[in-house]
Amino acid sequence: MAVGPIHAGVIESGHFRFHVVGDRILHLDARLFYKHRGLERAAEGSTLDDGARYVGRACAACAVANRLAYAHACEESLGLEPPSELARARTLLLELERIWSHLNDVAAVCAGVGLTAGNTLFAALTERARRLNADLTGHRFLFDTVAVGGSSLELDARETRAAREELEAIGRDAARGWRELQFSASFQDRLPDIGVVDAADVERLGTVGPAARTTGVALDARSTSPRLDYPGFECRLPDRPVGDVRARLEQRALELEQSLEIALRLLDGPVIPAAATPGGGEAAVGVGRVESARGATLCVVERDGNRLRRVRLRTGSYANWPSVAYAATDNLLPDFPLINKSFELCYACADR
Amino acid sequence: MLTLLRDLRRLRHSVGLPRPDRGRSLAIRHVDAGSCNGCEHELTLVSSPYHDLQRFGLGIVASPRHADLLLVTGPVTTRMREPLLAAYHAMPEPRLVAALGDCALGCGILGSPDELVGPVDTVLPVDLRIPGCPPTPETIATALLGLVDRAPRGSGIGAQ
Repeated sequence: MAVGPIHAGVIESGHFRFHVVGDRILHLDARLFYKHRGLERAAEGSTLDDGARYVGRACAACAVANRLAYAHACEESLGLEPPSELARARTLLLELERIWSHLNDVAAVCAGVGLTAGNTLFAALTERARRLNADLTGHRFLFDTVAVGGSSLELDARETRAAREELEAIGRDAARGWRELQFSASFQDRLPDIGVVDAADVERLGTVGPAARTTGVALDARSTSPRLDYPGFECRLPDRPVGDVRARLEQRALELEQSLEIALRLLDGPVIPAAATPGGGEAAVGVGRVESARGATLCVVERDGNRLRRVRLRTGSYANWPSVAYAATDNLLPDFPLINKSFELCYACADR
Repeated sequence: MLTLLRDLRRLRHSVGLPRPDRGRSLAIRHVDAGSCNGCEHELTLVSSPYHDLQRFGLGIVASPRHADLLLVTGPVTTRMREPLLAAYHAMPEPRLVAALGDCALGCGILGSPDELVGPVDTVLPVDLRIPGCPPTPETIATALLGLVDRAPRGSGIGAQ
């Protein structure tokens, strides 16, 4: 059964080929790369600063994570270290992106079940989070806020206070909405025991991000991020490491709470512009690793002076697509949209 | 849940859209021809309680056969050219095409030239251009409502 590349809703383009017997999926062949724009090749030969534009436009939902992985890779290669002010500004941007992304993912699972009320609630919260992004940085998706070698983000005490109040309000309303979802029996009935990816599968398939942590695997790039501001970070793991659709949804709620706490801590004082300082040896190759909302995003940069020779971006979405295909096996075809939404991967991030 | 939803109704007053008393409609089919996902995320929120485009009679439909308007995002990759044309030819006439976002309009496109066909107007006749990277839900809503208002009554576009 062939589905796509154009889907029924407002969804990115990609082709799925289901092998089915009746309603049961035997095998899913995900044929992506309909959106391949050749960004990495187009970036070759540009300056390190210009290269960030290509990486940033790979995906809007992971714009900060991708640019940050790129900036870290360039800075490692140039022998630059971020001072604490720079680390703080970048960590804040990364967590703001995760907050709107997780709110959007909860809304998407509600839409996958057909629970319009839940979808509406969390869509409104997503809109609020994006408006907050625009208030703080001038862009709803935080485009172009991360640059190689420094940050120009400046927030005075009044702005950080307003942002804290809005984040606290978003957190409160998200918690109220989440509680309502717990008591929606028809919604909860759809979620358990489908699309299972357990800890052994995570190991075998190289699954990353919330989808991996929900099986009890403590895998989070934030716990080993010396270039960012995560002192004593410990990833939150679920009480029941099951790895089904419900677990992945609950992991989002768990991590949303944590991201709000981190963002509130970072907004405790003014944010000032900062530049990276020389602190290490130069190298032709640099590697950056950042935890996006979908998992560990890796960027490798090979440079020739101040020009890019080659750049490679491996996003969390790219790493997790095989897990979606694996999770779909042995489930019912009508459950696939739900399984897909529980991962909520970007096609643009994988296709580049 | 109902209490929470009731609170959301006041949100629509926070955006500057006109009153929904027009008695016309538009069925929209969206096609992603290689966007970065930003236009899709904003288009999704056009249905959020803030803008709630359904109250103006505008809605996203599942098939191009039900659509008046083809809403295209992205710089049109070589791989999406054929599916895009197939969707357009599946639409009943009269039909309109809107290019959503700077990539679809051919502004500041990034990518390898041999992977891209070019802006939407090199593939299809474009009736509505919505600029922005990505355009905000408010910009998208205003542009779509303007299109319905401009279409003459009896033209088959925007009919109820």
